[in-house]
Amino acid sequence: MSRDTLVHALARSAEACPDRAALILGPRAVSYARLYHMAAALAEHLAARGLAVGDRVALLSRNSPEYAAAYYGIQAAGGVAVALNVEAKARDLGNWLRHCEARWLIADARHPELPQLLAQPHDWCIILIGEVPPGLDVEPHEAFGDIVDAAHEPRLAARAAGDELAAIIYTSGTTGEPKGVTLSHRNLYANIQSILSYLRLADDEIIVNVLPFYYSYGNSILHTHVAVGGTIVLENSLLYPQRVLQSLARHRATGFSGVPSTFTLLLGRARVEAHDLSALRYVTQAGGPLAPSYIRRWRELVPHARFFVMYGQTEASARLTWLPPERLDEKMGSVGIPIPGVEIELRDEHGQVVPEGETGEIWARGENIMQGYWRNPERTAETIVDGWLRTGDLARRDADGFLYIVGRNADMIKSGAHRIHPKDIEEAISELDGVVEVAVVGVPDELLGQVVKAVIVAAPDSGLDERRVKAHCRERLAQYKVPRTVEFVEELPKTASGKIRRFMLA
Amino acid sequence: MREQVRQFILENFLYTDDGSALRDDASFQESGIIDSTGIIELVEFLQDQFAVTIDDDDIVPENIDSVDAIVGFLQRKGCQA
Repeated sequence: MSRDTLVHALARSAEACPDRAALILGPRAVSYARLYHMAAALAEHLAARGLAVGDRVALLSRNSPEYAAAYYGIQAAGGVAVALNVEAKARDLGNWLRHCEARWLIADARHPELPQLLAQPHDWCIILIGEVPPGLDVEPHEAFGDIVDAAHEPRLAARAAGDELAAIIYTSGTTGEPKGVTLSHRNLYANIQSILSYLRLADDEIIVNVLPFYYSYGNSILHTHVAVGGTIVLENSLLYPQRVLQSLARHRATGFSGVPSTFTLLLGRARVEAHDLSALRYVTQAGGPLAPSYIRRWRELVPHARFFVMYGQTEASARLTWLPPERLDEKMGSVGIPIPGVEIELRDEHGQVVPEGETGEIWARGENIMQGYWRNPERTAETIVDGWLRTGDLARRDADGFLYIVGRNADMIKSGAHRIHPKDIEEAISELDGVVEVAVVGVPDELLGQVVKAVIVAAPDSGLDERRVKAHCRERLAQYKVPRTVEFVEELPKTASGKIRRFMLA
Repeated sequence: MREQVRQFILENFLYTDDGSALRDDASFQESGIIDSTGIIELVEFLQDQFAVTIDDDDIVPENIDSVDAIVGFLQRKGCQA
């Protein structure tokens, strides 16, 4: 069984192509040799400061060379990298930091929530990336740049491997029960190798990346490209789709990855045909279904690039299935076949495999399946059964073995690249004076797939209105969790047992 | 013109009347005030309110990414302050 890790993969690329650009952000290019140096410097620093194997180190940074270096550096030191959602507010960030008992927080000095976060009681050490803005009073801290500059020919050695923990990814932020997906070094490495085996990336790959590294999809893009020695051009916003197309053309990008809204935005709000995308070799799409009309339109405009439809979950490190591009027309609507090393079964509610052609829940097994949810044995036991991951997604399989998702994890809201647990928002809204009861659901949106709607039962004379609810949410929740619409009702529809009938609210 | 743009953003994205919540030079991209669909709403508002045509090619940070940028863009489009 392989003891290789993502850290070994970076070391190999730094050896093979030290001068090649690993990451490009605006005018700045960071070579593999430099990325290696930065990661190794941090790893040596953390180890010297007493990091024990298995200690959690949180990372709060936008996609940047420093993010990548920190991620590898933490893992090389034997730490568990906990990359936090940079759009989250101090409330969720504090919950996660306390829940994982982080020993360090490595954060962008200019992160807007940093002052509120540091005002919360804590005992983590702080390393800041970038210049500290005037007026920000940070207690004793160290500067990432100083740590990197002070290191003399640091060596990258992996102090942890195999089944030891490498990362935690938080997928929900409620105070009662944050869900932290725990991934081992083997989980991450196995999934990356498996993805590389079907994507067949070359060492001269240049991808323009718009997906956040703190989500599993973006995480897989970072590590696959570092493993082959490719170049990742960071475009950290899709607010201006035209910009992304310009970047693809200017860098002669060979690869591009997106969620459905990435493609609907590029096709709907920019002129794909006006840009030279002739260098593109492949495109990947995951994170929910993209309407066939958009896939066809994209392929008309960029016919030379192989189009990979894929499916996965954070709990599976990232990927579970892929649709070979040459079968796309024939199998349109399918998420394809299991990736190498993954087994998939469709089972009924009793855990029995369903007859061929019938619908069942996707159960998955392989080296990429998570270790469980951090400090949540009950939820782990519900989700991992006899070594199989219960995905909560319903699918059927055709005679050729291709999977078609027919129903998703019922309550989860998918908006753009985000997966949102209604509970996170319901909890925040419940704290507002005058709210008797609240339910949050996803409603269809042409661009983002779904957007958030809150349905509230307010106390008589509470004076609550839509704006107050939104303002309250905006202070406490990431922007993408703020309800697009708020509806006030007399009562919420419920089952006989008192469970809210969410589908009646959408 | 500046005040109308500010009011629209305060009302629709910041949910407040408090003018101090929005700096005119604050980048929407950096601050996360507006998301992808918000930009569409903003562009629609500008087209309706100021009777200008905004093409996809116009929707770039230089023209849209702050109150200051929008005011400059509208002036270049011939709108009167």
